[in-house]
Amino acid sequence: MTLLNGLLPPYIESIAITVGIYIIMALGLNLITGVTGQLSLGHAAYMSIGAYASAIVSLQLGMPFIFALLAGGIAAGIFGLIIGYPTLRLTGDYLAIATLGFGEIVKSLLFNMPIVGGAMGLAGIPYKSTLTVTFILVVIVIWMMLRVERSRFGRALLAIREDDIAAECYGINTSLYKVKMFVLGTFIAGIGGALWAHKIMVLQPRDFGFMKSIEILNMVVLGGLGSIPGTVLGAIVLTSIPEVLRFSSDYRMLLYGALLVIMMRFRPNGLLGGVDVTKLVKKSIKSITGSNFTNKEKKKVKGGD
Amino acid sequence: MALLELNKLTIQFGGLIAVNKVDLKVEKGQISALIGPNGAGKSTAFNLATGIYSPTSGKVLYKGQDISGKAPYYINGLGIARTFQNIRLFKELTVLDNVKIGCHSRSKAGIFGAITRLSAIKKEEREIEEKAYQALKLMGLEKKYDEFADNLSYGEQRCLEIARAMASEPELLLLDEPAAGMNLQEKGVLVEKINKIREMGLTIFLVEHDMKFVMGLSDRVAVLDYGVKIADGTPEEVQVNADVIAAYLGKEVV
Repeated sequence: MTLLNGLLPPYIESIAITVGIYIIMALGLNLITGVTGQLSLGHAAYMSIGAYASAIVSLQLGMPFIFALLAGGIAAGIFGLIIGYPTLRLTGDYLAIATLGFGEIVKSLLFNMPIVGGAMGLAGIPYKSTLTVTFILVVIVIWMMLRVERSRFGRALLAIREDDIAAECYGINTSLYKVKMFVLGTFIAGIGGALWAHKIMVLQPRDFGFMKSIEILNMVVLGGLGSIPGTVLGAIVLTSIPEVLRFSSDYRMLLYGALLVIMMRFRPNGLLGGVDVTKLVKKSIKSITGSNFTNKEKKKVKGGD
Repeated sequence: MALLELNKLTIQFGGLIAVNKVDLKVEKGQISALIGPNGAGKSTAFNLATGIYSPTSGKVLYKGQDISGKAPYYINGLGIARTFQNIRLFKELTVLDNVKIGCHSRSKAGIFGAITRLSAIKKEEREIEEKAYQALKLMGLEKKYDEFADNLSYGEQRCLEIARAMASEPELLLLDEPAAGMNLQEKGVLVEKINKIREMGLTIFLVEHDMKFVMGLSDRVAVLDYGVKIADGTPEEVQVNADVIAAYLGKEVV
């Protein structure tokens, strides 16, 4: 179980765990915004709910980590249901506004609730999110997302993104599917939050502000909306860039911003947006093994528009 | 009993009565058509029948059951599938996925099915794939299964809409201007396909602009003008109806 722990220098290991947590967070948001096309601006709020819920389970009840993880996911999922149920039946940008407002409400509540430490935060959470645990969870979430994407349920979500009226006319109960999807997405955010809590060990409400939600959204957009490999890549790139740029100290965030602008200029659909990675891999394997180059399987790259 | 029946169906948008007390019957096994000049309310009548709009008054009956105001996904589940006048494909998905989504009403797997992929789910997925392929073959699109829907030609996109509708295994197929924008040759092929679908035992109800196309194909024709039904009968009867000629060509000034 502890195979990966201590394999890397502590600093790198810490970054690797953070990257893993952000991959999980971004994959949850990718399901909501990338696959189903519903813009959520409050993903960090669900992360904070998961983080606090799991911390309480660990601290107050002293239960094993697996229960803390599940509690984080379930708590976030319940709030996903509460916010999603009334807002997802509407069309347009209502979800964006509602999630934005919800994020601020959660932050204010956490600031003012003595049970979670208020502005002082919640300290003394045990360190449980080791590299091994994080890695296993990342693999599970990726595997789950791949399965969901290629299923009847996933196709229904894609149909909703593409044309919700047509989806509804072909037997998809669009509001029900959106709510189910949103609960799954926020559940995953809660798991990410629980991991975060047990890595960072101190929770403070201001860590889960609007900018955190935007940061996660950036990863999905940069990687390519709706693309699982893209989202993973986006999370890796955007989490490690600030670390890589540490040498430039004062100019770090400036360079980060400039890189974002440049990438959006040259790959407006995201790094892997519109790239079918499985096909690309098959194709490159074929070209390496020297079999027919004139394969009918066209590389589906739809960039640039 | 008619398969689909519109009963004094009315819908009002503000001051405009788009469909005004329309009575209409679509008999099982027939091809019925609804024609009329631009803005006559044909597509609105379709939207009422498929649940996109709720009628202001009147009823839509399917097999005698009142379905007016029911949700579109529910109506599709009952066995009514439609196409759209302004093509509404899932553009960034492949042709095959478009048709697979059409199978939604006739399959069951949910989130847990998606994640666990038990053997029953795998079997269902294979059935969906097979059904989708058959629907594509029917419309002659099986070779294009891997293309993005957006990359098909206009006529192919219209055929894909029909294939997607057929994948939901409907009893009643509603076609909203299926021949719009097609050239003569494509229209000829489309007529063949529609006749083939009728031979499979489906009932077809279509809205169309092109008189020649409708007259050659339909068993019954109803004419709408300004939301009111002005004629109903066999193509021969409708063609010589004075009101219809007036609606299409204008009245002779005496």
